[in-house]
Amino acid sequence: MNSDTLNTLDTYSKNKYKYGFVTEIDNEKPKKGLNEDTIKFISSKKNEPEWMLEWRLKAYSKWKKMKEPKWANLSFPEIDYQDIYYYSAPKGFEKKPKDLSEVDPKLIETYNKLGIPLEEQKVLAGVAVDVVFDSVSVATTYKGELEKLGIIFCSIGEAIQKHPDLIKKYLGSVIPPGDHAFSALNSAVFTDGSFVYIPEGVKCPMELSTYFRINAENTGQFERTLIIADKGSYVSYLEGCTAPKRDDNQLHAANVELIALEDAEIKYSTVQNWYPGDEDGKGGIYNFVTKRGLCAGKNSKISWTQVETGSAITWKYPSCILKGDNSIGEFYSVAITNNFQQADTGTKMTHIGKNTKSKIISKGISLGKSQNTYRGEVSFLKKADKARNYTQCDSLLVGNQCGAHTVPYIESKNNTAVIEHEASTSKINEDQLYYCRQRGLSHEEAVSLIVNGFCKQVLQELPMEFAVEAQKLVSISLEGSVG
Amino acid sequence: MNILDNYIKNKKNIFFSENIDIQNHREKLINIFENDSFDKKNNESLKNINLKNFIDFKYKYLIPEETSVINNNQENSYSIVSVNGQCSSFKDDKIEITKILDEDYNDFSKNDTIENIDHFVNLNSLFLNSGFKIVIKKNNHIKIKISNIITDDDLTIFQKNNYICEEGSSLNLIEEYENKNNSTSNILNVIKLEKNSQLNHFLIQDNSHNHNLIITSHSSCKKDSIYNQKVYNFSEGYVRNFHYSELIEANSEANLEGIFFLKDNNTSNNKTFIRHLAEDCKSNQVYKGILNDRSKATYFSNTHVDQVAQKTEGYQLSKGILLSDNASYFSKPELKIYADDVKCSHGSTIGPIDENAIFYLRSRGMSKIAATKILISSFINEELNSIDSEQMSELIQKKLVRYLSKVK
Repeated sequence: MNSDTLNTLDTYSKNKYKYGFVTEIDNEKPKKGLNEDTIKFISSKKNEPEWMLEWRLKAYSKWKKMKEPKWANLSFPEIDYQDIYYYSAPKGFEKKPKDLSEVDPKLIETYNKLGIPLEEQKVLAGVAVDVVFDSVSVATTYKGELEKLGIIFCSIGEAIQKHPDLIKKYLGSVIPPGDHAFSALNSAVFTDGSFVYIPEGVKCPMELSTYFRINAENTGQFERTLIIADKGSYVSYLEGCTAPKRDDNQLHAANVELIALEDAEIKYSTVQNWYPGDEDGKGGIYNFVTKRGLCAGKNSKISWTQVETGSAITWKYPSCILKGDNSIGEFYSVAITNNFQQADTGTKMTHIGKNTKSKIISKGISLGKSQNTYRGEVSFLKKADKARNYTQCDSLLVGNQCGAHTVPYIESKNNTAVIEHEASTSKINEDQLYYCRQRGLSHEEAVSLIVNGFCKQVLQELPMEFAVEAQKLVSISLEGSVG
Repeated sequence: MNILDNYIKNKKNIFFSENIDIQNHREKLINIFENDSFDKKNNESLKNINLKNFIDFKYKYLIPEETSVINNNQENSYSIVSVNGQCSSFKDDKIEITKILDEDYNDFSKNDTIENIDHFVNLNSLFLNSGFKIVIKKNNHIKIKISNIITDDDLTIFQKNNYICEEGSSLNLIEEYENKNNSTSNILNVIKLEKNSQLNHFLIQDNSHNHNLIITSHSSCKKDSIYNQKVYNFSEGYVRNFHYSELIEANSEANLEGIFFLKDNNTSNNKTFIRHLAEDCKSNQVYKGILNDRSKATYFSNTHVDQVAQKTEGYQLSKGILLSDNASYFSKPELKIYADDVKCSHGSTIGPIDENAIFYLRSRGMSKIAATKILISSFINEELNSIDSEQMSELIQKKLVRYLSKVK
């Protein structure tokens, strides 16, 4: 372990949730609750065309008839959908600022606290950041350079205005609004999110990145992200999250759709560190996310990498539909749960095309009184000749009050396809611990080192900037429950 | 005919229908059937099966004219012929065979350890019409072979057997199911292993095309006891093997293993579930299957480790070979772990026969079919080698050869 990580460990050992602060900005909200008027309000606030409103209302009518999926290994009080604000935008944002100087200084301050000053990032990191503060995109940087290559990277609201053809063609094509209750809910009330289009043959020169932040009490966040990689293109997209401290549970139901056409590749990385609730399990974010990628063309590739350490409840299954021949799907995940957190996460690989390949590496670590479940489905349909899957999911238990569960669903309808699945569950190896202690590491350091090693296979898949952050996160997440 | 009609019409022939308590329980079960939506997605017992055939059935049961035969041919060795699920009473200083009693009904029938609703167990409790109870007395070492015979066509057998191995005893139990008639057997075995006892349970299933066999077992192991179960399924008709084990006291062990050979349109549903409720227990769940033609199979395995069950070792393995384009295999190996000092793992593979291995054999002059057959035999060889009785090993080899002769 490097000294950097150790320092961070020290810093955080007494800290509670670092990012638990609230920026006071007047919020313009519609009334609480969900009905057709709320949707019309959102649609008109965002100045949307008629067809978009219709699309939303259609999704809403589907949602009304649906029930939340119950199969996950989670327990939480019933969500009262009428007790949530569905739109919250900082005032004066009907018109977008042209550059950073026009942005509310309080917002900028928030980002500074978070350690991602936009100005600095613009110059130093070479990352174009599309920041979502609550529900409206605040500033989009690096646009010019991307525009030169023909890359579209903007908020979904803007895309609806400017690129209706692409939206009409692809929105909801991977996650139909009626797929399940949360996707229908998102389709009806989504407020913002990102839209990315990479034209034919273009390799995006930088990592595209969005920071989501949930602010304003009782506001559910319903982002919708759509990424389209045209023939022969490549894009790497980062998503990182922190949220202020709250006592009320906040609902989050995002939808992320990826579409990779022929020979295209999309890499999607997430570090999720939302407020997990306090030591007694009070508060925290309810995270019900639907992420799905479609490898539509031949030789396309979609790769999901996620580090999940936050949220009171994580319900998330980034999945791949491998439709094109020779397409590849990958899923790398680290999920750490502490205190009373519950995570039910995994993936779904549906092999449709010939010679499709998928790889799943999942690492779950449970501490405290948490419950950590891997749930994954691998299915080979009839035409998936010579398809191949390899799945490995390992769980680590620290303490005797937590639970680690593995629930894979494996189905093959093709006799040339090969599926391999292995999983193991154990506690931290005493011998390894002993070895580290002997060399002068404290118990906590030793555990942190071993856990970092346990996750390495996944962490190394992250882009550089994220890998460092994620490694720190892993160590911080172990705080207070070891020893 | 629906459940309620069948029940009212045949109430007289069903066991314990005078017992008010049981009657109330049964009425509750009927309610479940009438109100359940038979949600296939969330009820594992319904996957790949047309429940309608089993609910809209015609109840028919004949009390056997010929009584079953119990032979004590060698010392400590018994052979039993059970006719239509019934067995006459027998008693000596080593074993005791009786009919099941009212109180035995409550074992497992009312037990909530099965997750969700298992409609087949409920059917069994509702229409119970046969069964027996075998007790192995303290410190005896016994071998028993049971042949299950069904006398007529269209019979619906709902059978419940209780096996109790008393302290320090051991039992080698071989059960044969080889029926050629058009009947349905729904059998529930409740097995209790007392301290330091052992049961090696072999189930050989080789029914004809029209015969449906539904076997559910529930075993509970006390301190230092071992339950080994091996299922060999060669049936051409539908077979359901659902086996649950509970390790309730320290240092006990349960091994649930099975192999199945499917062809034509056959379906087989398998499930093993081991619950670790005490320290230092071990378990193994191993199922292997060969699927040919348009056959379908499911295998659910589950290891549940309770918070108190430290030092648990629980392993699962599932392997499937698909020989044909139209066969399908579904497996769901589940781990639910609430204790930290455990070693648990599962492995699952589904695929064709290894092409490299075929190539190796073919390059040595073997035909493709011969190579395939050799590789299938070797795939399950481990399971066959572990049989210590020569007679049984031969019997299973013979059935394997018969299956392989149909492989093209």
